[in-house]
Amino acid sequence: MAEAATPARAEAAAARLPPLVVAAERIAATVMQGVHGRRRSGHGDAFWQFRPYTAGDAASSVDWRQSAKADRLFVRETEWEAAQTVLLWRDPSASMQWRSGRDLETKADRADLLLLALASLLLRGGERVRLVQGDRRAFMGRAALPALAMALLRGKAEEQPDLSVPRHARLVMIGDFLQPIPEIQAALSSFAARPVRGQMLQVMDPAEETLPYAGRIRFDGLEGEAPLLIPRVETIRPLYAERLAAHRAGIATMARAAGWGFSTHRTDHPPHAALLALWLALAPQ
Amino acid sequence: MISFAAPWLLLALPALPLLWWLLRVTPPQPRRMDFPAAMLLRDLPLAEETPARTPWWVLLMRILAAALLILGLARPVLGPGGDAGGAGTLLLVVDDGWASGPDWPLRIAIAQAELDRAGREGRPAALLTTAPGEGAAPPRVIGPMPAGDLAPRLAALRPRAWPPERAAALAALEAWTRNEPGRFSALYLSDGLAHHDGVAAEALMARLGPNLTLARAEERPVRLLTPPRAEGDRLIATLRQSPVLLPGEANLIARAQDGRALARASFALGAGATEAQAVLELPTEIRNRVHRLDLAEENGPGAVVLLDERFRRRPVGLLPGAEQGADAPLIGDLFYLERALNPFAELRRGDVERLLARPISVLILADRPVADGPELAALTRFVQQGGLLIRFAGARLAERPDPLLPVQLRAERQLGGSLSWEQPQRLAPFPEGSPFAGLAVPAEVTVERQVLAEPSPRLAERVWARLADGTPLVTAETRGAGRIVLFHVTATAEWSDLPLSGLFVQMLRRLVALSGGVAGTEGEAMLAPLEALDGFGRAVPPPPGAQPLPAAGEVVISARHPPGWYGTAGGEGYRRAVNLGETLPAPTLHAQPPAGTTLRTIATIPAERDLGPWLLAAALLILAADLLVSLRLRGLLLPARAAALALLLVSTPAFAQEQDGQSALVTRLGYVLTGDAALDETVRQGLVGLSDFVNRRTAATLAEPMSVTPGRDDLSFYPLLYFAVRPDAPALDPAATAALNGFMRNGGIILFDTRDEGSGEGFAPGARQALRRVTQGLAIPPLMPVPEEHVLRRAFYLLAELPGRFAGGTVWVSREQDRANDSVSPVVIGGHDWAGAWAVDARGQNLHAAVPGGARQRILAYRFGANLVMYALTGNYKGDQVHVPAILERLGN
Repeated sequence: MAEAATPARAEAAAARLPPLVVAAERIAATVMQGVHGRRRSGHGDAFWQFRPYTAGDAASSVDWRQSAKADRLFVRETEWEAAQTVLLWRDPSASMQWRSGRDLETKADRADLLLLALASLLLRGGERVRLVQGDRRAFMGRAALPALAMALLRGKAEEQPDLSVPRHARLVMIGDFLQPIPEIQAALSSFAARPVRGQMLQVMDPAEETLPYAGRIRFDGLEGEAPLLIPRVETIRPLYAERLAAHRAGIATMARAAGWGFSTHRTDHPPHAALLALWLALAPQ
Repeated sequence: MISFAAPWLLLALPALPLLWWLLRVTPPQPRRMDFPAAMLLRDLPLAEETPARTPWWVLLMRILAAALLILGLARPVLGPGGDAGGAGTLLLVVDDGWASGPDWPLRIAIAQAELDRAGREGRPAALLTTAPGEGAAPPRVIGPMPAGDLAPRLAALRPRAWPPERAAALAALEAWTRNEPGRFSALYLSDGLAHHDGVAAEALMARLGPNLTLARAEERPVRLLTPPRAEGDRLIATLRQSPVLLPGEANLIARAQDGRALARASFALGAGATEAQAVLELPTEIRNRVHRLDLAEENGPGAVVLLDERFRRRPVGLLPGAEQGADAPLIGDLFYLERALNPFAELRRGDVERLLARPISVLILADRPVADGPELAALTRFVQQGGLLIRFAGARLAERPDPLLPVQLRAERQLGGSLSWEQPQRLAPFPEGSPFAGLAVPAEVTVERQVLAEPSPRLAERVWARLADGTPLVTAETRGAGRIVLFHVTATAEWSDLPLSGLFVQMLRRLVALSGGVAGTEGEAMLAPLEALDGFGRAVPPPPGAQPLPAAGEVVISARHPPGWYGTAGGEGYRRAVNLGETLPAPTLHAQPPAGTTLRTIATIPAERDLGPWLLAAALLILAADLLVSLRLRGLLLPARAAALALLLVSTPAFAQEQDGQSALVTRLGYVLTGDAALDETVRQGLVGLSDFVNRRTAATLAEPMSVTPGRDDLSFYPLLYFAVRPDAPALDPAATAALNGFMRNGGIILFDTRDEGSGEGFAPGARQALRRVTQGLAIPPLMPVPEEHVLRRAFYLLAELPGRFAGGTVWVSREQDRANDSVSPVVIGGHDWAGAWAVDARGQNLHAAVPGGARQRILAYRFGANLVMYALTGNYKGDQVHVPAILERLGN
């Protein structure tokens, strides 16, 4: 059934693609401007600095134009090009396809947007970007963003994540992390064994944080959990907040232990802040 | 007192506690909600361990709703009517004659209540109406049948405009009791009158006993208005009524044919009085327009009197001494008479034979002797039969007196003049008892010549007017049913100044008012019913059973001859009014019912109310409230939705403002709604035509014009407003005035069009006053006629004149050069009906002819419109053309 639906889904995904890519690019651009002035190396082809010629340098590395301006010879030195592979993952589960209000994005949409914007930044920075699920190609160069987006949207939830992560790669996980702590722990420790370091970003709907409901409500989980009847929701609001905080603290502790970063994001907040935080966290120390 | 139509349903009431229990144990349905973080909610220790319970007040509300439902379905009846006791068939006897009209709904309501009760008790019912039906069908007992089947027949009953036939009803009752020998109890709704057959009423009541309930309107008199009597300027109406204990009052209204009230008078009726009179003082012209008299508070045919020609037309025949020169200005015999009589009487001319061939009420002989023979005989017969013969003296009459004079004539005398010592005589005040009594005698009226009367013992009582020296000026004598009146002077100014004075007119008017009306064509011709009065006194088409009436003779009002109009068809045809009050006897009460009869009073609608629907409605309301409450409890009712619901319930349609959006998008012309749909349509078509012309000929692009109401619509989108001024336009309200002032201040132009200038003079009389009214609060600057060099004349076309549908009037613009507004005049005022000239229909054809006309005028009108639009859009931009010569000159230098 999923196979039958795939072409249609791809179509739908393709229709979403340009605006998504554009939005991601735009957010990435604002973040780029935000970090401007930090001395970041450009692409490998980009100019880094001139240094005086020393014996042993290849003649081909001499920048003749620059050298012609002065008496000495200058070597054009480009940035060290050891591109890192960044693996990106976002939670494809059904619980992500939810929003509490009509004026909000679903968590999945926000996660896609953040992922692509981050990918855009990384591609501009010359890094390799790979998806954990679906297409296993590594994408490089700014022009690869649409292809990456296509691959992301085509990805199927049922696919097992590819755990053949290159060593010393960086991993970014975006999701709601509403599984029980042990499950998350298991997944995280399998990565940490590699060693892969990474970032976790929890994307949540505002309603999931504040529980703004009242009255007698039967809650249905989105992933086949048994329904849950709460007689008066307003009375359990503090309890819920406590429990959510505990859950988050658990993930954070776990992540810290594995050397990972953990941050949260709400869909009613602008994506820039979360993106900037991710981007800075990924930058070499 | 409450009774139930379906009492067994009340057995459901003990089940209410069960419902209470059920509702208690059943918590409200939870609201369903998808929630990804449901995992976190699991196993939360619930702070409140009380089970989810419906709040007690919701329970109470639902129980109440259920109780109301049960009670409502049990059909409770409050104060059940009907106390006509007894068992067996219920026989309703209804007097549906003319006297039942005024309180008909009450009567039917009482009968209905009784019928409902019989229905509840399962008794059959029968109905007997005492008046013959349409087509004189004799009364008949309907039934017995189930009470529910009889109800629609009862509801369909209408009072008749003729009296009941109780004898026939009694016969019908006899026949019915022979066929239906069972017991019956009767309710007799009597109009209380004996009519012409008091014995039959008594017999009927006796036959209906012993279980008889008699319902009468004892406190309300039955009133019968009789045709009025004309006395001079006055109409004296007589009201007859059945005696009542309390004094009362009745108001009489005289109405014209179109229903307007012309005059009012009131009858004062003392306690126990059976008759009262009211006087309507009406000028003759108004009196001639009185079409019917009715009582303000009554609505039966007895309270209506239709007035036909007898009360109205006063044809006056004029006979001059000599046909030649009779109309000669200032000296003709009939010159003054015609002018004096024309406003209020119908004048006829011709010889004696022709005049008398048609009914005529007054005949005036101006200095015309009557020849012996057939002429004398005809005139004598005319007077004997009630005609009024007015004669004026003169040279011819003085020579040849004839028998048709009130007094013997002696001689002619001359007062004043060169050969006489005597002075011209003034008039003495009119004696009491004369029809002229009370008229003011002007001092300037003098009499120079007159014919003198032979003194006789009866002369004094025949004199209606005298000169100051006591000689008679007007004498009169009654002959048969008619009168002969003699003016001892001529009808010209030859002998006296009388015909020159206003007194002459007043005297003639009084004389004509004295005369009897014209009874119309006598003879065997049959008059067809034209319009009948129904049982409520309304004019309706005659019922199918109405039959023609002989023109002459008494009429007995019956189902065959209902009251109303009879006559020959056609506009000029003769119409005769047949009134109830003309022929019916004065209303008298019938005898008291036999002993043992239950009496009821028809005074108010019986208070029987079916409470069921109200209870059910209340239950529904409570259930609706319960729905809202439970939605609220489940959290489904967001405040916004609640507000929307509440708004839906109480919302009043607000004026849509959507047109603002449209009007802002494109340039278009606007016009102010005048309230006259035809005029608004013309203006709209005119602006459509103008917009089309401007679109074709200029670079401006105008969209469909829109109507605006200043003060309600935003005017800021319109460069130009067309304000057609209706002649009866009211002053603007403050909001509209403020809006228009703001519009003008911000550069808008208003074109005021009174549509009555130049060649259109008189097309819309009063529009200029209306313009003054309309512009009262507006900041109109000082005005001047559009000068030769004005931009309005050269904004697009060069125009020498500014015609519309009309031409030749003056068009005004602001005189002041207001720099703030680019010297553009905020108003253009004229009356050329430009919209009329521009107006085109859907096929693009012009709708209104231009006056004086010509294709050129229409073209110029359109050109003026184009100039005006350009002026409104570009202001004084084109005004620079005025300076072109100067600029050229400067450039040349």
